[in-house]
Amino acid sequence: MNSERKRVSPNPLIEQMAADLQPVRSIRFRDGLILVTLAIIVTILGVDFIKGLWFNGLSGGASAFFVITNGLLLILGCASVSSALKMAAPRVGNSHDGPKWAMAMAAVLPLAAFVTLIGHDHGTSLLNDPYGLDCFVGGLWAAAATAGALVYWLRKGAPVSPNLAGLHVGVASTALGSVAYGLACPIDGVVHLGLWHVAPVVAGAIIGRYALPRLLRW
Amino acid sequence: MIADEQTLARLMVASQKGDQQSYTVLLTEVQLWLERYFRRRCPPAQLDDLVQEVMMALHNKRAAYDPDRAFLPWLAAIARYRWVDHLRKVYRQAEDGLEDYDAPEDSDEEAVLARLSLERMFVHIPVKQSAVIEMVKIEGLSIREAAQRTGQSESAVKVNIHRGLKKLSAIVEKAE
Repeated sequence: MNSERKRVSPNPLIEQMAADLQPVRSIRFRDGLILVTLAIIVTILGVDFIKGLWFNGLSGGASAFFVITNGLLLILGCASVSSALKMAAPRVGNSHDGPKWAMAMAAVLPLAAFVTLIGHDHGTSLLNDPYGLDCFVGGLWAAAATAGALVYWLRKGAPVSPNLAGLHVGVASTALGSVAYGLACPIDGVVHLGLWHVAPVVAGAIIGRYALPRLLRW
Repeated sequence: MIADEQTLARLMVASQKGDQQSYTVLLTEVQLWLERYFRRRCPPAQLDDLVQEVMMALHNKRAAYDPDRAFLPWLAAIARYRWVDHLRKVYRQAEDGLEDYDAPEDSDEEAVLARLSLERMFVHIPVKQSAVIEMVKIEGLSIREAAQRTGQSESAVKVNIHRGLKKLSAIVEKAE
């Protein structure tokens, strides 16, 4: 053992790195959480400024589907944010399984929408939704600030699973973006919410999984 | 004996604050740890490069260590990440084979580190994939030689290496 130690002690790389050492602020989960919270607050203020929040719905005037959909998306967003933030400081033993269960839970929403469409006499008429695309695009736009915050955080850190990190960033930002934009949407039917408010999350997952890893590799 | 988890974590926290003496001690210990960590999964001629690569990664990403969490699982995750990356880059270098290398045995005191090891990652991929990765990327056999030894076709060897490496990169943190 001592011979091993003697052999490594004069490594010039160590001397050089020690000479270059500068103090750094270490990554802490709570700092990332504050950053993402600020991004979400900015997003909600932006939605309120541009579209105006649906205060009647927020004060109990909305259907149960409105609360259930936004609640499930919020849980999914929180689970994915938590995993994405933790991935900046990696460790063997992290499984990041939480968001998978939350995704399965949120998948109930489009399923409920399809069941409603099948069981409805005039199901196709329910698909004729002039506000659907607006909510889809709005949900994606509302994801931008959170996605930016998470990518910034991960680039500061050392994610060792860039594909999974990208997926979590995509899901987290679009789930929270859809909730933020959903606070301005007065349409509270199961088909509209189950399809058009969940669709941005599906798009976010695809974009995150395939477009973001190149930004996260190091 | 390599320093224990608490000592390494303490040295890392001091290093993040700019303590050069602690950092020198930490890097010396980390170098020893990495040499042991990689010795069975990397040809000796490539060992120094891989160890230095991980030490550079540690230096560049030292802010990514959270002082509230353990140090060795963090270092192991970075070492695994760089190792999978290294396997992707490795081309045939027959002279670098492990056959003649007499790797020293692990001591009992390192048993606790076994759960962080590289071997644990191979458990999570099919044997047909781990076998050809080992032969081609670690021992330095050619695709043809690996195909002859395993009975797989050459294209199957290539596909299994590709799929195996993809799977390994996905379980860097998860496999323990």
